[in-house]
Amino acid sequence: MDFNYTIAMLLVALGLYCLLLKRNLIKLIIGLAVLTDGIHLLLISLGYRTGGIAAIVSGEMFSDLPGFAARAVDPVPQALVLTSIVINICIVAFALSLTIYAYRHYGTLDPSKLRRLKE
Amino acid sequence: MIPHAPILAIVLPLFAAFLMPVVGILARRRGIKRAREWFAIAAVLAELVIVMSMLPVVWGGQVLVYQLGGWSPPWGINLAIDGLNLLVAMIVSGISALVVIYSFVYMGRDHGLDQYYTLFLLILAGMMGVTLTGDIFNLYVFFEIMCISSYALVAFRRNWQSIEASIKYLIVGSLGTSFILLGIALLYGMVGSLNIAHLAQKLPLEPTSAIIVPLALFVTGFGIKIAMVPLHMWQPDAYQAAPSAVAALFSGATATVGIYAMVRVVYTLFGVFAIGIMLAALGLVTMVLGAFMALTQRDLKRLLAYSCISQIGYILLGLGLGTSLGIQGGLFHLFNNAIYKTMLFMIVGAIIYRVGTSNMDQLGGLWKNMPVTATLFGVGALAISGVPPFNGFASKWMIYVAGIEAGQAVFTIIALIMSALTLAYFLKAFNSIFLGQRPKHLSDVKETPLPMMFPIMLLAVLCIVFGVLPQLGIDIVRPAQEALMNSGGYIGAVLGGA
Repeated sequence: MDFNYTIAMLLVALGLYCLLLKRNLIKLIIGLAVLTDGIHLLLISLGYRTGGIAAIVSGEMFSDLPGFAARAVDPVPQALVLTSIVINICIVAFALSLTIYAYRHYGTLDPSKLRRLKE
Repeated sequence: MIPHAPILAIVLPLFAAFLMPVVGILARRRGIKRAREWFAIAAVLAELVIVMSMLPVVWGGQVLVYQLGGWSPPWGINLAIDGLNLLVAMIVSGISALVVIYSFVYMGRDHGLDQYYTLFLLILAGMMGVTLTGDIFNLYVFFEIMCISSYALVAFRRNWQSIEASIKYLIVGSLGTSFILLGIALLYGMVGSLNIAHLAQKLPLEPTSAIIVPLALFVTGFGIKIAMVPLHMWQPDAYQAAPSAVAALFSGATATVGIYAMVRVVYTLFGVFAIGIMLAALGLVTMVLGAFMALTQRDLKRLLAYSCISQIGYILLGLGLGTSLGIQGGLFHLFNNAIYKTMLFMIVGAIIYRVGTSNMDQLGGLWKNMPVTATLFGVGALAISGVPPFNGFASKWMIYVAGIEAGQAVFTIIALIMSALTLAYFLKAFNSIFLGQRPKHLSDVKETPLPMMFPIMLLAVLCIVFGVLPQLGIDIVRPAQEALMNSGGYIGAVLGGA
């Protein structure tokens, strides 16, 4: 379990590193995706239970609800991660389309060259 | 109150947004002109009516709790509306209505207006969702809807300025929202709940050292959205490159929502007034830096963007002082800032509409061509600088007094100096646009068209009304201030039904 959290934080740190130091728009977007994936892993790990079962009540489980609750994984983080993944897809898709436009206008993917507005 | 008003306020713009392309197609087939514009105006006005219908209940001192699907909190998602939520909802829906009316003419020359109005209604849905929800993950989702629509709105014209600004905004903004998500994940890990009231009840039991990390993540995340120094670098670019109507919406409504999310999380969720002085200090830095950067700008929209940063600083200063007068002043300033900032951006839009540039070096002597616009700009400039009898004076005065009462006289002195600086850069802007030599090619510039003038005039009238009768404005923000300081009441009202 601790292993999960370590990896999650490592992914967040990697994403941050990528965002801060990389000089390519595509890499920045990858960094953003890695960062959010780290957060997703953290969220999923929060609800994880070794040997747990899916939090769907069916059939004979109705007779033993407390036993079911003791074995089921937490479904809330899964719902959160699902929502967040969808949001993240939107952001990545939108960012990539903007990158295409930026390349057409500037002929480069270097974000430090995108500074005509300041002049 | 209209039945189910809280959820209607979110669902209405959401559905209207996705109906907009259909309306666009039908209008083109049938040859109906301006159908999209009228549809958008109708949707936003209906939104305003819905929000206003909640007014009597909430101002009666009740916290409106709406349980989605009948699940009682903390299990289900609920919408919780107290005075603070309602104040922000009022600002958002009012400003949106005026901006849509303004867009009618201003955006008339652009192509792809289906997308413009779709995004506009989506951002409205996002803002309403953030404002009305009582669930922190729900808040995050609506915040993302708001953010993604605003990135797209910045890039709407797809020229190099807007693409560059939008990319910067997107990278920085997404980093901010990721921080918010991380903060939510940590809170969920600690407490196991996502309901704001339930979290607020349980968090004081946790050790301070554990709370401080999510708090920092939230402040950073929302700080990016409201362009708090040192997280402001995206904002001048975005405001400069976005169409003026969009910039008006951002400065008036979106920034307000960002501040709402910030204070809701800082005050209600964490309940730590200890962060207050830090918030005030950040506000101070924001105010000073924004004002100094505004002084050196040559582009009017960029100048307004920096002045926007500076005004956000005042609001944070007031809210951060943590006294009831300070919070009241901060919220009153929030209210006033939405009024005159939207108005000023609309005026810049009018100038761009008529002249084609907002570069102050290429403008001059427009007083003879646009006397009414010039007068209105003067009203806005005086209001934002805090000159009596305009509304900016009333709220800034409250912040000054609150600063002295809270024993932070230094803050007040700096705020006063910055106010003078604000006047200086607005006088400079006024001088270089409306006075001085008029370039020859500007001699046949016409006055702002009337449909664009109408929302500007309405806002100018509000500037004067709240300046002459500040008590009226204070009465509007007092329920919000009382609600913000009474987080126990909020928690009780939301969880009481459980």
